[in-house]
Amino acid sequence: MALSMELRCWGGGWGLPSVHTESLIVLAYSKFSGAQVTASPIDWTWKTLTATVPELICGESSVTDPTQILNFLRKQRFNADYELTARQGADTLAYIALLEEKLRPALLHTFWVDAENYSNVTRPWFASHSPFPLNFVVPCRHANIAISRILLTKGESPLNRINEIEAKLYSDAKECLNLLSYRLGTANYFFGNSPTSLDAFVFGFLAPLYKAGFPSSPLQSHLGQLENLTQFCENILAVYFSSSQPSSPSSVQETKDANLQKLTQLVNKESNLIEKMDDNLRSSSPQHKPHRPEPKPSLANEKNSTPA
Amino acid sequence: MSLAAEAFVSQMAAAEPWPENATLYQPLKEEQILLSDCASSLAVQTYLKMCGLPVQVVCKTNAEFMSPSGKIPFIHVGNQVVSELGPIVQFTKAKGHSLSDGLDDVQRAEMKAYMELVNNMLLTSELYIQWCDDATAAEVYEDVSQCCQALSQRLGTQPFFFNKQPTELDALVFGHLFTILTTRLTSSELAERVRSYSNLLTFCRRIEQTYFEDKNS
Repeated sequence: MALSMELRCWGGGWGLPSVHTESLIVLAYSKFSGAQVTASPIDWTWKTLTATVPELICGESSVTDPTQILNFLRKQRFNADYELTARQGADTLAYIALLEEKLRPALLHTFWVDAENYSNVTRPWFASHSPFPLNFVVPCRHANIAISRILLTKGESPLNRINEIEAKLYSDAKECLNLLSYRLGTANYFFGNSPTSLDAFVFGFLAPLYKAGFPSSPLQSHLGQLENLTQFCENILAVYFSSSQPSSPSSVQETKDANLQKLTQLVNKESNLIEKMDDNLRSSSPQHKPHRPEPKPSLANEKNSTPA
Repeated sequence: MSLAAEAFVSQMAAAEPWPENATLYQPLKEEQILLSDCASSLAVQTYLKMCGLPVQVVCKTNAEFMSPSGKIPFIHVGNQVVSELGPIVQFTKAKGHSLSDGLDDVQRAEMKAYMELVNNMLLTSELYIQWCDDATAAEVYEDVSQCCQALSQRLGTQPFFFNKQPTELDALVFGHLFTILTTRLTSSELAERVRSYSNLLTFCRRIEQTYFEDKNS
């Protein structure tokens, strides 16, 4: 299955490979599952207005929406969830629902509706990454979509105004963050030692909130206090997105092995040096032989006693 | 309900014990009530029964308008009115009744996550079935299957989702599944999908028998 795959997404910023949650989810999952996906940022093109992102293009077919894209990748045998039990798969669905229902509305509000955040951070970024004259249109359009989405899902009636439901929005989101923190505990990933699609979703939702330079955001501060969640984001960035070249998990492992080898060589050199120093100090003593101490003295005796 | 109003209601709730004349209001059963509302109402009724809190069910044509939030069901307890499962769970908790106190933080996180899954998938499917036609029906049925599969996996062979003790999650799941199974719709596809998970069927039967045994089926 060596079809080349291209992902149209929003570009990187704030120390992240993409500032856009959905794009980030797919990028993270691709790394976790070893899928070779080329990121094609739509920044500064007319696609900022016309395209639905993220969009995965593989040969003739194209898939949008993170869940659909992940399903597609799994069918192409890029499956980061291979080792999950059925119960863990069920938990994944449940936690993703939690993210969508409880965290998403507050994130939309933080980025697109809160006046200070929008004018200081969100709008400048998206405007500067859209071509003229779309820089006047794209941010505004996203903001309107965000407001409608929040009101539809959270407002008691479509006629309610945003500020009436703000408090509930943020208290739900903080509770969601707390729940995620409890569930993650001290582990690196949500299910054992390797990341799965749930980790991709959580990373996609949390990382922009963690990294964006907001003037003041209670939700961001709340996240900052949940150390295991911020550590979770940092860890994924360091392991999967650290160099400018896309590194797959196996090459990261190779790097680790190479480092271990170098370390071992260094230790060996050191211990040789120490031995030489030792010899010089006790040159008269016959007991200290000038070679590395054998782990099994019996072996040395055997060698000595081998009949000629 | 706004955050301040919720806090106020909780404070007032803590003051008095559960009265004998608590009432639950919903629209009329045969002619009026919608699938999704029926499920939500059943979930609340089940939850109250699990807590051992008596409540009388009254059907009113204008129940929606009587409700403080416009959503059903709502309960009238003492001199307070509370609607929807979430606030009602908080309300009973303020009065000292809770099903999820024995859960640790991780379990509570799981419980909330599964409740959102049910709201996200089953409730949305019910709303869809009620209002829309079959254009994207295939996707909706697929969602329902996925949700049921997840619930079935999570339940396993246990009597309740958190083993021996029922929680609000059990009430919510029962409310939705039982409604889907017992309501006559134009297409029985939805019910068929649920029926294919035998442990969920057993679960529904058990809850029906335990908490609603005097109700004529």
